[in-house]
Amino acid sequence: MSTSVSEPQAAQAIRIADVCKNYGDYQVLKNINAEVARGEVVVICGPSGSGKSTLIRTVNRLEEINSGGISFEGQNIHAPMRGSELNKLRSRIGFVFQSFNLFPHLSVVENVSMSPIRVKGVAPDVAHDKALKLLDRVGLADKANSYPGQLSGGQQQRVAIARALAMEPPVMLFDEPTSALDPEMVGEVLSVMKSLAAEGMTMLCVTHEMGFARDVADRIWFIDAGEILETAPPEEFFKNPRHPRAQRFLADLRH
Amino acid sequence: MIQDFITIIQDYWLLLLIGQYPNGPLGGLANTLILSALAIAFAFPVSILMALARLSKWWFLRWPMTALVYVTRGVPLLMLILWCYFVIPLWTGADVPSFLIMLVTLVIYQGAFLSEVVRAGIVSLGQGQMDAARALGHGYMSAMRFVILPQALYNMIPSMISTFVSTIKDTTLGYVINVPDLTFAASQVNNQLLTQPFQVFLILAVVYYILCWSLTFVANSVERRIARRRAGPRNARLPAEAAPLKTITEQL
Ligand SMILES: Nc1ncnc2c1ncn2[C@@H]1O[C@H](COP(=O)(O)OP(=O)(O)OP(=O)(O)O)[C@@H](O)[C@H]1O
Ligand SMILES: [Mg+2]
Repeated sequence: MSTSVSEPQAAQAIRIADVCKNYGDYQVLKNINAEVARGEVVVICGPSGSGKSTLIRTVNRLEEINSGGISFEGQNIHAPMRGSELNKLRSRIGFVFQSFNLFPHLSVVENVSMSPIRVKGVAPDVAHDKALKLLDRVGLADKANSYPGQLSGGQQQRVAIARALAMEPPVMLFDEPTSALDPEMVGEVLSVMKSLAAEGMTMLCVTHEMGFARDVADRIWFIDAGEILETAPPEEFFKNPRHPRAQRFLADLRH
Repeated sequence: MIQDFITIIQDYWLLLLIGQYPNGPLGGLANTLILSALAIAFAFPVSILMALARLSKWWFLRWPMTALVYVTRGVPLLMLILWCYFVIPLWTGADVPSFLIMLVTLVIYQGAFLSEVVRAGIVSLGQGQMDAARALGHGYMSAMRFVILPQALYNMIPSMISTFVSTIKDTTLGYVINVPDLTFAASQVNNQLLTQPFQVFLILAVVYYILCWSLTFVANSVERRIARRRAGPRNARLPAEAAPLKTITEQL
């Protein structure tokens, strides 16, 4: 991890404070306040269109916000700053997309090693070896020289996870990593995520996989219409959700 | 008939090849090739810069470039050549060689056309690729260079070839401002012979055809090589992926 941070390390990995965001007149995020502790696994769930993707994309500033702030390891990522400074912060936040977004013109191992080389200035052979290790870890060592177009969805998403890990981020964000997958491929991606969680990675995941939430999450954030209505440990959330809309959401899921 | 062609070529091959050189300026086929190559070499990077300016979030880059592209695309090349021919010397106050005027005009004109192709190539990739690059810590330029442009330019290869071929054809218009190129040399030959315009201009047409055809051929094989490399060592998908590109290029 970085040793150059002069401020005292905050206890939270991520702190979202009074975040509001509008698309025109429409308010997508309404005064969001929440925290993710170091090593914590948080699952964000809620109905479609409730603002889950928008929220998670504001955490690494792929989306701008209208007011409030989000601190990542004590630094407000939405403060005015130079582009290079923002890029440095972003490179320390892993992001996994619903649609994988692998680079189709690069081989699998190049997908994983490119950013460490180009962004962090890691020596190519070092980055290459590291990429092979990460691919081995997600069970794809034999696909290193394939191209993304030759892989199944589940394999592509595992490469995407390895690509994010290659930057050695202390925090990983997932936006519905399994929603674009055929059912038989969901398990292989979830098991990679589980092993990450078991190693103590700080994770913020938007997902509809309630089994994963139950087994792996330390806390659930339930979000509806741009508001976090409930945050609770999974056993509590699933057994007796307090908010009526959370109750309805869970009832709908079961049917 | 055949004898006429052979005689013309025997008598005038040096004029057709290098113009009046070394007694006058370099001309003929040599000059056509140099002009085309320079125009293509400059139009390519210029088109990328124009496309990036048109996609810029800053209006002071976007607006003027959009206007330039629209005007350029909406005006016949001949008009543009004549404008540059009269306007550039006025601005610079210098006696600019017609070769240079033609080069500048071609670069602007083909750059504008190509920039629309580059822009479409970038836009068609969608937001996902840029998001992924940004999320990994790439800045805008780094994302463009390593993620967006390699893909956009690859997808553009067929359009680029057709633009390059039309650049070669467009050099012939330099004739109107006395650029000493192959067309200019051929019309000199025709003026001396007077009686054989058909033979002279057929030779001219054949040379241009061979030029354009060989460019298409080279570009096609480059394209195939990239497709093969990208499909990877076990390229089960190669035929399906390469086919559409090839059909487009072959229509040129
Ligand atoms: N670029 C945009 N412009 C305008 N409205 C948008 C834009 N992006 C999202 N929205 C709206 O904001 C709301 C929240 O969208 P968001 O994608 O965050 O929802 P979500 O919870 O991730 O939904 P899903 O489960 O379908 O992914 C939606 O109503 C959506 O229509
Ligand atoms: Mg979403």
